Amino acid sequence: MLRQMLMIAAIAFATSPAHAEIARIKSSAGTAMVERGGGRMPATPGLRLSPGDKLVTGKNGRISLSFIDNTRFSVGPNSRIAVSQFAYDRTRQRGQFVTQVDRGSLAIVSGQIAKSDRDAMKVRTPSSLLGVRGTRFIVEVPK
Amino acid sequence: MIASVRFASAGLCFALAACSHSSLVLLPDEGGGHGSVAVLESNGKPVDAVVSQPDSRTRLGSGTPTPQPLGKAGLNPNQLALLSGLPPPPRSFTLYFVEGTTDLTEQSRPVLEHLRAEIARRPGVDVEVTGHTDTTGSAADNDALSQRRAEQILDLLASVGIDRSLMTAVGRGERELRQPTLDNVSNELNRRVEVTVR
Repeated sequence: MLRQMLMIAAIAFATSPAHAEIARIKSSAGTAMVERGGGRMPATPGLRLSPGDKLVTGKNGRISLSFIDNTRFSVGPNSRIAVSQFAYDRTRQRGQFVTQVDRGSLAIVSGQIAKSDRDAMKVRTPSSLLGVRGTRFIVEVPK
Repeated sequence: MIASVRFASAGLCFALAACSHSSLVLLPDEGGGHGSVAVLESNGKPVDAVVSQPDSRTRLGSGTPTPQPLGKAGLNPNQLALLSGLPPPPRSFTLYFVEGTTDLTEQSRPVLEHLRAEIARRPGVDVEVTGHTDTTGSAADNDALSQRRAEQILDLLASVGIDRSLMTAVGRGERELRQPTLDNVSNELNRRVEVTVR
């Protein structure tokens, strides 16, 4: 399993430019930002995400986005959600995907990574770790 | 007095299904059927529970995860807004080529127009151009061939006015046959390019 993960990571590294695109913002409303490193930028449609990016919304904020493995996200108001880990080998359609929901709400329709290996896609909340097994669901983390 | 306040907030919590606890709502898939979500850890301890009941709500971080049916009340307004805010599912178009060329077959030409229309109506669109081969030749050669074919088609799409910065090329080799065959079988249905619009 470890070797498999290293292999996926190595392939992802070898075939990706420095800022590998993992997702694109499709729509946003209200206060909707992407945090990267120390900076913040508005989550405008077409913006490309990289691993580690955080999605942050205010009280009327919403963001929708699609990942390169066909996973889809809809982020609700007052949210803080990090794409902590995302590695995807497009040729083999396998990878690892960890999302951290610190607060707020998130609807997910899972894509190829969740299909590739058991619990290859995980969602972390302050109390729990979830393994996504190909499905549509909502996670809510009130303040 | 304190007891009655508690009672009221518990009632509100139940009615709105929006308590101060984290929760998971499992829904049916868009195309029917449903998947599942495993709870692997709770409050730092390993758990072995799988939520597989569609239209259920499970409180997270408090004991054994126990899904409760959403019941008549169904989803609350925030949950409905989340679902309607999801991007539309990706849409795929298949292009076929005259053997050994990057010329579209006659039947594939109108597909190009549908593709253009789909790209135009999606905000923040991205386009994945995926090459597939038949089973003739080695798997490694077919990976390279399908990648090259995908790149050629990406160039072709750019030359007919589709913005290059929206597109990426991927080679899937012989992993995803449209028509299953034995190894080393030439098959024109399998030699194709799929264009996925997200």
